[in-house]
Amino acid sequence: MQNLDATIGYGRFILSGALATVELTIFSCALALLMAFLAGLALLSRSYSIRAVARIYVEFFRGTSIFVQLFAAYFVLPLVGISLTPVQAGVLAIGLNGGAYGSEVVRAGIQAVGRDQTEASIALNLTRWQAMWWVILPQAVVVMLPSFGNLAIEIMKATAVASLVTVSELTFQAQMVRSQTGETAIPFLLILVTYLVIASVLTALVRLLERRFSRGTAGA
Amino acid sequence: MGLHIAPDRSAEAPIIEFREVGKSYGVFKVLDQLSFSVKPGEHLALIGPSGSGKTTILRILMTLETVTSGNVFINGVSLNREQKNGRDIPASEAHLRKMRADIGMVFQHFNLFPHKTALQNVALAPVLTGRMSKAEAKDRAIQLLDKVGLANKADEYPSRLSGGQKQRVAIARALALQPKIMLLDEITSALDPELVEEVLNVITDLRNETDMTMLLVTHEMGFAKDFADRVLFFEQGKIVEDGPPSELFHSPHHERTKSFLRKVIAAGQRV
Repeated sequence: MQNLDATIGYGRFILSGALATVELTIFSCALALLMAFLAGLALLSRSYSIRAVARIYVEFFRGTSIFVQLFAAYFVLPLVGISLTPVQAGVLAIGLNGGAYGSEVVRAGIQAVGRDQTEASIALNLTRWQAMWWVILPQAVVVMLPSFGNLAIEIMKATAVASLVTVSELTFQAQMVRSQTGETAIPFLLILVTYLVIASVLTALVRLLERRFSRGTAGA
Repeated sequence: MGLHIAPDRSAEAPIIEFREVGKSYGVFKVLDQLSFSVKPGEHLALIGPSGSGKTTILRILMTLETVTSGNVFINGVSLNREQKNGRDIPASEAHLRKMRADIGMVFQHFNLFPHKTALQNVALAPVLTGRMSKAEAKDRAIQLLDKVGLANKADEYPSRLSGGQKQRVAIARALALQPKIMLLDEITSALDPELVEEVLNVITDLRNETDMTMLLVTHEMGFAKDFADRVLFFEQGKIVEDGPPSELFHSPHHERTKSFLRKVIAAGQRV
């Protein structure tokens, strides 16, 4: 039963990796959500220059590899005087990358709300921001949520890249176990299951939000 | 003693004035050098074939459309232009918001907010525009829903209401901002025939009980006749005939008005 002891031993090791993955996921999702709304709204701005800046951000982060973005955040930013910890660099790269994808979800969600809602808001003399906040966004969020759920899971899985800048998250820990014990099947099976568990929690969370936000729209 | 002088409507300044208004989409002219004015408290019915520009007139007044040429005045103030530092410029958002304050609109497809209850639909704008506190707006919304016969539906979402009920909520919502001008855009066209009457009854009450200026775009000729003090018959962005309903419906002067009414009657409507 020496094998079991070893498994429990590196089980703890992997659990600490899981915590790091969760931490990376939460902060990256938060940054991605913020960027998604900022860029998504900017993509719909009346101002050409604001639209242009948002479009450049989106195309840059979607069109280049997340590995390169991560390395840039960790190795290149120090050259201009910005030194980040591995976790900060990871969150920055993964969050900005996720935000670029998310911004299109926000844009499409807002555009999916009918023109009639904007016209009713104008007729009721709401300002553009009031209309957006009280009328358009509450309906758009319902449309956005399933895609946001997908994106959150994508971001969670993308946190594995942070292992390349020495963040000891799940994949990094599994590699450590493998290199020190020579075990391959068990550690990777363990992190596979752990990723799946985290993803299931994310999915359940999004389902909950979907139910919460769909009041009135689905006959509720 | 005192001498009582009856108010002379003809001397009153118009509340709405269109002055040579043109509106085109590309080469398609919706309104063509259109001029007319409306006196305060007048009840106007705008009739005519589809695409004749009736709805566009309401949408211009609600600032949902801009004019291509000409001017629209509300109480003598230009709706589409403003004077800033002595210069005549296109109306800013701030100017438009000021002008919209006196105008309400009810849409063909209700345009209710689906994520808000009937009560919230009615109470939202008075709070957000800073006219009322939340409590005042709620009280007022309950009164208005009661007025349109829907006090018992206050907490329902629009998806649980019939078309006629939705449209009555939409009327209450438009009334909540106490507009001086009410625009009614084919408000019964999307309703099942048996639901039309409950909406028209609400409008008749409003007509009789308030001094709002009302513009009604409709295909219900029978209702237009009962509702209006004055009827405008439009064709291709122009007013063909303008007169009291008795005259326009029973002894129209223009051949085109006659042929339009003949078609409407042939389609089974009472005039």
